[in-house]
Amino acid sequence: MSDTRFLDKGKPPERFARGWHCLGLESAFADGKPHGIEAFGGKLVVWQDSQGKLNALDGYCRHMGGDLTQGTVKGDEIACPFHDWRWGGDGKCKAIPYARRVPLRARTQKYPVEIRNGQVMVWHDAEGSAPDLDILPPELPGVGTDAYTDWTWEVLDVPTAHCREIIDNVVDMAHFFYIHFAFPTSFRNVFEGHVATQFMESKGRPDMGGSGYGDADLVLKSEASYYGPSYMINWLWVDYKGFETEVILINCHIPTSDNSFKLQYGLVVKKPEGVDEETAQYIGKRYSDTFKQGFEQDVHIWLNKAPVQNPLLCEEDGPVYQLRRWYEQFYVDKADVTAEMTDRFEFEVDTTKANEYWQEEVAENLRRKAAEDASSPESSDDVAPDSAMTGT
Amino acid sequence: MASFVPTSPDTLEDQRLYTRARLTEVACLDCLAKVGVKKNSEHHTSIQWNDEARRQCPEFSRMDQRPEGRPVHVGCPRLVDSIETAAREGLIPIGAEDGY
Repeated sequence: MSDTRFLDKGKPPERFARGWHCLGLESAFADGKPHGIEAFGGKLVVWQDSQGKLNALDGYCRHMGGDLTQGTVKGDEIACPFHDWRWGGDGKCKAIPYARRVPLRARTQKYPVEIRNGQVMVWHDAEGSAPDLDILPPELPGVGTDAYTDWTWEVLDVPTAHCREIIDNVVDMAHFFYIHFAFPTSFRNVFEGHVATQFMESKGRPDMGGSGYGDADLVLKSEASYYGPSYMINWLWVDYKGFETEVILINCHIPTSDNSFKLQYGLVVKKPEGVDEETAQYIGKRYSDTFKQGFEQDVHIWLNKAPVQNPLLCEEDGPVYQLRRWYEQFYVDKADVTAEMTDRFEFEVDTTKANEYWQEEVAENLRRKAAEDASSPESSDDVAPDSAMTGT
Repeated sequence: MASFVPTSPDTLEDQRLYTRARLTEVACLDCLAKVGVKKNSEHHTSIQWNDEARRQCPEFSRMDQRPEGRPVHVGCPRLVDSIETAAREGLIPIGAEDGY
């Protein structure tokens, strides 16, 4: 028997999480055309009917498997491009133009749709349960009014990782220093019911200013909650050179297979007083560009790392086992959800020692840089930093 | 039924170590809640609640009633005081054991 630590890669679950998944902004689907969304190991067709209601069905016609996402919206129904079978948002076949009657069994998989904060949410459950409206993410007061900028929206493909990798970030205090170039000065987690939260305060790393990452002038307060398995609301208060901005970031994903997912994020900025409309939208765009860097830093890690079922932790690490226990509730039958998975758990890490080591490392980097007589970082008095961090 | 299936039995032991080992029961000085507490240092604290304890906490009940604000509560200040008192009295071992 060797003392070498074994890396248990485990096996990914054979199902996709139960819960609400966000497909994107409502406005992106409101054009009377069918939209194809890769999700849950297949493809969904999403379209808007004449009442303005969005519908989501399995993307393949139950007749001969035609691709409904390449079909046509006719009236309230989606018509298959192969034989023109008409499917309604309730999952029933409404008409077959060349047939005397529609087979009684002509029902396809439908995904219940709800709109939250201008975004399209679909319910997925391998057991086929009715959608649980009580666990929809909360409404965001003021968002969608003139007080906030319009949602930005971006999609990043993660073709070779299970989506649990992004969930793990909820508890990963140390990666914020190494991957996102910031000092987490305060770090807490609370898991309870279907919600998992990270509370964090951080400062930018002065030694990374020159490379466009991290910024010593940046002080960030972040509260980020997963409402269910895939939809995070991240409230961010950014203080940049005394200029305070409130940002609400949505970080969500759609699993596409047991080893791939689509990461999506969008944000609104509370319009600062005395800033005109155009500038406010510009600030939103700048934050979106900035957060993109952060997400890409994460994606790069996920695409190259091994899955690990038995992480080896040190005492400064966050509660990854407790987080995964919480996450497990979405992958078992509803009847098999245990109290442990949903019981409240609180965690506060001691960032003191870690920050002492990190401050030394950064000071050493700065000394070396000065000695190398490196060109000084470009300074900018812009209202949005070149780099800001999220809770992911 | 496990969803993410480990391939080694040692992984189950790791799960037990990291989630259950070293939890000390602490009773709140202000209500009937009893929670499991682990401290890796003065400041580092894990608090494991159960349903019964959660129901007993009047602070959380009050916070649940508040219409404004987000529904996630950082913690109960009375329980935090109780844990600090217990730690001061030496009732909670402080310091990790090989990372758990």
